[in-house]
Parts: sequence; structure tokens; C-alpha cells
Amino acid sequence: MSGVLDVGARVKKLTAFERLYVPGVLKGLAVTMRHFLRNLVAIRRLPTILYPERKRDYSDRFRGKHILTTRDDGTLKCVACYMCAEACPAECITIVAGEHPRISYEKYPVVFDIDMLRCVFCGFCVDACPKDAIWMTRNYEMAFFNREEAVFGIDKLIAKPGLPVKDGLGYRPYYPGDGTVPPGDASSSPVIPGDGEREKLREKGCDVEHTAGPGPLNAPSPAEKVEGRRSIS
Amino acid sequence: MSTIEAPPTTLSPPAERLRDRFARSPLSEKVSVLDLDLPTVEVGPSDWPAVARFLRDDPECRYDLFLDLAGVDNAKRRGRPTRFEAVVHLHSLSRDEHVRAKVLLPDGVEPRLPSVIDVWPAANWFEREAFDLFGFDFPGHPNQRRLLCHDAFVGHPLRKDYSPGQRWFFAEEDLRMPAWAVHTEERAGHFETQTISIGPSHPATHGIIHLVARLDGERITRAETQIGYMHRCFEKMSETHTWNQVIPFCDRLNYVSAMINGVGYVRTVEKMLGIEVPDRGRLVRTILSEFSRIMDHCVNIGTNLVDIGGLTNFWYLYQPRESIYGLIEACCGARLTVSYVRVGGLAIDVPDDFVPRCRALLESIPKFVDDVERLVTRNKIVRNRLAGTGVVTKEQAIAWGFTGPMLRSTGVPYDVRRSRPYDFYDRFDWDIPVANDGDNFSRYLVRMEEIRQSLAIIRQAVDIFPASGPVNSDDWHVVLPPKDAVYHDMESLIFHFKLIMEGIRVPRGERYDWIEGANGELGFYAISDGGAGPYRLKPRPPCFPMMAAFEEMIVGGGISDAIATLGTLNIIAGELER
Repeated sequence: MSGVLDVGARVKKLTAFERLYVPGVLKGLAVTMRHFLRNLVAIRRLPTILYPERKRDYSDRFRGKHILTTRDDGTLKCVACYMCAEACPAECITIVAGEHPRISYEKYPVVFDIDMLRCVFCGFCVDACPKDAIWMTRNYEMAFFNREEAVFGIDKLIAKPGLPVKDGLGYRPYYPGDGTVPPGDASSSPVIPGDGEREKLREKGCDVEHTAGPGPLNAPSPAEKVEGRRSIS
Repeated sequence: MSTIEAPPTTLSPPAERLRDRFARSPLSEKVSVLDLDLPTVEVGPSDWPAVARFLRDDPECRYDLFLDLAGVDNAKRRGRPTRFEAVVHLHSLSRDEHVRAKVLLPDGVEPRLPSVIDVWPAANWFEREAFDLFGFDFPGHPNQRRLLCHDAFVGHPLRKDYSPGQRWFFAEEDLRMPAWAVHTEERAGHFETQTISIGPSHPATHGIIHLVARLDGERITRAETQIGYMHRCFEKMSETHTWNQVIPFCDRLNYVSAMINGVGYVRTVEKMLGIEVPDRGRLVRTILSEFSRIMDHCVNIGTNLVDIGGLTNFWYLYQPRESIYGLIEACCGARLTVSYVRVGGLAIDVPDDFVPRCRALLESIPKFVDDVERLVTRNKIVRNRLAGTGVVTKEQAIAWGFTGPMLRSTGVPYDVRRSRPYDFYDRFDWDIPVANDGDNFSRYLVRMEEIRQSLAIIRQAVDIFPASGPVNSDDWHVVLPPKDAVYHDMESLIFHFKLIMEGIRVPRGERYDWIEGANGELGFYAISDGGAGPYRLKPRPPCFPMMAAFEEMIVGGGISDAIATLGTLNIIAGELER
């Protein structure tokens, strides 16, 4: 705690010399010339960026375009639990859940749309996801010619395994530690039911070990195909 | 309202004092004094002007600063005697206390309460807003027109029975100019009289503000401001979202210093929940809030000087702002719309290099501030433009409900960080800058010094910043459990699920909590009915009363002075119109 400082009294009246315009101009020129020369010498350290040739370096927490993460076999980690849609303050996520052809995955999103024009990029969906299935990237360059195009379906959101993510990863669930290594249970290995379950399933004749290889990817969801969507035109 | 309520056994000292004072006054039969989070006076509409006058003038009350008027519709809330109430928050500068007055509007008739604009001129726009959004009628108000909604709007949107799906289209012919602007009288002896519109879309109106001004030559003889072009239904939307979902909306109130809004909002909710945030989390909030205050002042001074022709300062002041945005982005992932705070703490811990980055900023920012000081403070042109223009006296500033740098530039050292220290402000060594002239130049000086004081606060906060420790409360009814636990542990997953799907359960009640925003006192009045989200949430935007007084401040000055004055008011349209 301290006192009150009267800044008005601290600033003295202008002297007769200062009241001539020329000294003020010269004094100002000295400051601006110093900046000019310094910038000329250190032209590489200018604060301006020659966008789009160069881009700003954002941190790995940047909240840009979303991606839907996948397991190693190419299926979406998302289990269509609707928690991100519920947490979204902008109500921009539309999910339609379906039964996965592979019994161990049970549920998956038939439709997972994010309306990028409604999205406020707050990251609440990432915080809400219990399956580590939605991340954000550092991609902030999204321009559209019409509003339908701005609704990103699974085909635009999915992060295909092995392919690099445009502009790098951004905001992800916060893992304690160095913030980069996900804990074991959020790994991307395919889900295999526990041993007891496996026996029961095998008795039912299910393909428990996924010997048939990776199944089809989740169905893409072009916006026009889905009936009953809210009109956005 | 017949008698004073039987006093509960434990009344807080301020409420006790207020109850005693009213018991000794001729108004004793007309008010009841309650003890909520603030001492609260309940009164009927017919007695409201007398009580208002008493609250302002009585030497034991002296509530001279009108802070806020919030309408409340109790249609869906149990336990209230009437459907509509007008909730007024006041502050006493001499006694450093807040008080709340509730005007209970009887059911069965149109909600109507007398205007108190002659007691507190600051009530002007607050009453217009309540008329607009709630349909309260204020007999005695000189200009009771819609404020935030447009003139073709039908209904009162914040009433609980208003369906938000309706659309009201506004055509150009619906624009209602003030009557004096439509029929301008030609008066003899004047060089030229004409009425002009400045804005809504004009570079000098910072945001979208429409100023209708009648000119006599270059002098403004009468003016009226029309706002509402950026009204985004913050309050209505909050009522349909959960407590945490409101946080991104708060960023968009004062978007120049978004962090401070979030802190103000979550502090209100945390007080209602009665939870504590660990020191480290509170220090992060303090440091980033002070950096946001610096940014806000940089933007304000920079753009104001651009308006009067000094572009260079804009570059010099935006450079530290860029580096601060870099720090904020490294913490939360966004530059402007931070969404960093959560009820109970922060979204995510700060990065490892947080403290070194803060220290680097503390090194670099003063250089730019010094440069601007060298260019501006002793420059004759700046002095001619700013000194002696937009003058507000101390009495006017208080009457108009000013807070923040605007009030301090008239010599009143009211700063929430000092008057009611929150977080760690009582541990830091810093000064409140004041000036006595109340003109545009004083405001410039106060803001420049506040940048330096904020740097001093940050320096001390960084010194005591703990190297490790939690930033969040560990109450999992409020804060999301760590992701590690959610993936592994069923109980954590259940907490996580309940928090996301149901939201935080805030106990029933109401709370007004206030902090020092960059523009002045930023308050949030929140009512909970025990549901997942706010029943009613009313921010007290600091620039709202200043903008209301703008049309009176500029009368008599030139247009160019009005532009300079508008710059120093620091109007943020997002916060003004919500």
C-alpha cells in the first residue's frame, strides 16, 4: 500500500522556449530518427511481419481450427458422447451418433459438424472431451465463399494418421508434466475389450482381435446430405 | 414495506448502521433494511425519490456515486414479493462503502418508478436502458427513449416472457432523430446553424457511435449520442448458458482488456460459491490483469493521439501491446478473446517461461512509454489540443457516476484496488495517480502514470510468484478434474461429466462484486436461482455513465475538441452496449 500521486502538479508549465514550435518539432524528430536508425540497422528485428510470406510464431496452445484425432487404425477416437456440443457456448457443434460396425467401439459420430462461422474458438470442447478426441491446431486461415462451406464435417476435421497437421498442433487437453505427452489411457491404440468380455464376445462369434484389418473410416458428412439440419443460408 | 423487518440477530456493521439511521429518520415506515452481501434497502416506488435523496444527502449515508441500475424480472424466480424490481447500486466516496437499493414495483400495474435523474444525473442512461430492456416507466425522465434496441423494436427483451427468437427489422425510415435535430431554428446573430451526424461509422467514433450535433459555426450547441449499434444481447444470452459458458462472452465486453472482465466475472461467481483460488492462480490473474490494463491505456492514448494527428505514438504504444499479446497467447492460446479464467481458477497453468517473459516485458515496456512521454508531454501542439478541453469538474464527475481514470483526473483518488483491495493489491506498494484539472490532458497524464504503476505492481507480483503449485481450486464440483484423472479414474470422470452436462450449481442468492477495470469500476451483479446458469447477470460497464455524460461535456466546445474528448473517455463499444 502506498499513497496518492498528483501527476498534474508534477507537470510544469511550458517554458517560453518550449512554447516556440521549433524546439518541440526537433525534440520529436530526435526520438523518431533514433527509432528510424535503429530499425534500419536491425531490420530483421522489425516488429512487423511480412504476412503471408511469413507468419507469426504462435505457441502450441494456440486455439485455431479443430481436428478430430484418430486411433492407429484410422477410426475416430470420438465416441459421440455430446459433451463438447453441450459445453460449447456458441452452440456450433452438431453431432449425430451411430452404432459402430465394430462392436468394441460401440458408438461413433455419423455426423460431426463444426460451424466455423459460429465458433468462438474458446477451447471449451477440448476441455470437455473425455476421450482426447478433439484438439485444436495453429491453423487460423479459414476463408469461405459461402456459409455452407464454413460448416466443417468429419472429412475436413479428421486428422488422418501419419499425415502432418497444417500449421502444427495447438490447444490440447492439459496434461500434467511437460504438457506434451498424453497419459496412457488417451493413447491411440485400438480399443480391445478386456479378457472376460473378449471371451463372451468370441462365443458370440464377434471379430474381437480385428483380424479383418481396419474397417471403413467413419462416414463423411457433406452438409447437404443430412436431413433436418438448421437452415444457415 | 410497512415496517422495518425484525432485525436478525447478526447484522453486519454497515447494515446495522444503515438500519439504525433509517429507524431514526422520518422514512422509517417506508423502507426495510436487509443484510445480503451488501446492505440492502427495500423501498416502494412512491417513496423511492425521498429515499434516494436521503441516501445521497444524509451525512451518515452520503451515497454520492450512482453506480448501476439493473432491472430484474422475477417471473420465474421464487421467494420474491413482486415480479419486477429495479436494483440500484451506490457508493459513498467519503465512507468508502457500497449499498444496494431495491425498488419493488407492485404487481398488477405497469412497472413504474419515478426518475431519480435530479438526485443522481448518472441515472439518465441507466433508466433509459431499464425502460428499453424491461419496459419500466420513469415519470420525470426528460428523454425516455430506447437506448440499446433500435426504434423499430417491439417488446422488452429482458423480460422473462419475451421470446428471443423474434426478429425486428429496422429500416432507414425508422430512425428517430431527436426532435430538436429535426426542426432547427434559425436564430439571429449566429453565423451559421446546422445539425450534423458524426458517425455511426466514423474512424473517430471508436466503435459504432452516432453523435447528432447542432453546430453554431464550429461550436457545438447541443448534442445527443445514439448507441446500440453493437448490442449483442450479453445479458439475455447469459440467462440461457451455464456459469462457465458466460466466460467467452465476458471477453467480448471490454475487448481491449479482456482478461479483466473475465476476472471480474469469475470473482463474483466464486464469491457466491464461497470457494478460494490458490495464490498462484490469483497472482496469474493479477499479473495478466495489470498487463491488460497497460494495453488498454496504450490503446487509449495511442488512438486518442491519432485522432488529434500524432500517428507515431500509435506505433510506439502498439509495440508493447503486441508483446503483451504474445505473452497472453502463450498462456491461453488466443490474443484478444482470452477465455483464460475459469470459475475456481484458470483454464490451464502458465507456461514454464512465464516469469522470464514477464520480466522481459517489464524491461521493454518503459522504453516505449518514455519515448511517447518525450514526444507528447511537453509538446505545445498536444497541450493546445488537450489542456483545457473536455473539462469535467469534481462535482460533475461524481454526479455523472464516473469512476476510474476519468474520476481520478478530477482529483478524487477512488480506486477499487485501494478502497477494497482484492487479490494481493494490499501487499503491493503502488500509488494512485490523480490530477486536478479534469481536462483531456489530465486524463492523458493519469493514464501514463497508471501504466508505470501497473508495471510496479507486476514487478512485485512476479517477485512473489511461486515457482510451482496449483492454480485451480481442488473442488471438483466447480473445477474440471485434471485430464489425467479423467482418463483413468471413474470418480473423476463422473465429476467431469456432471460439470460439463449440468454445469456448476451456484447456491440461490445474489451478489454484486466489483473490481477495478481499465476504465473504472467494473461490477457484476449476478442472481442465481440454483440453476445451472445465471438467472440474471448485469455487468456494470464503467464507460456507460461516461458516454451518457458525453453529450453534455462537449456542448460549448468545437467539433475537434469533441473528438479529442471522445478519445479520452475510452469508450469501448463492446462494453458500452454489451
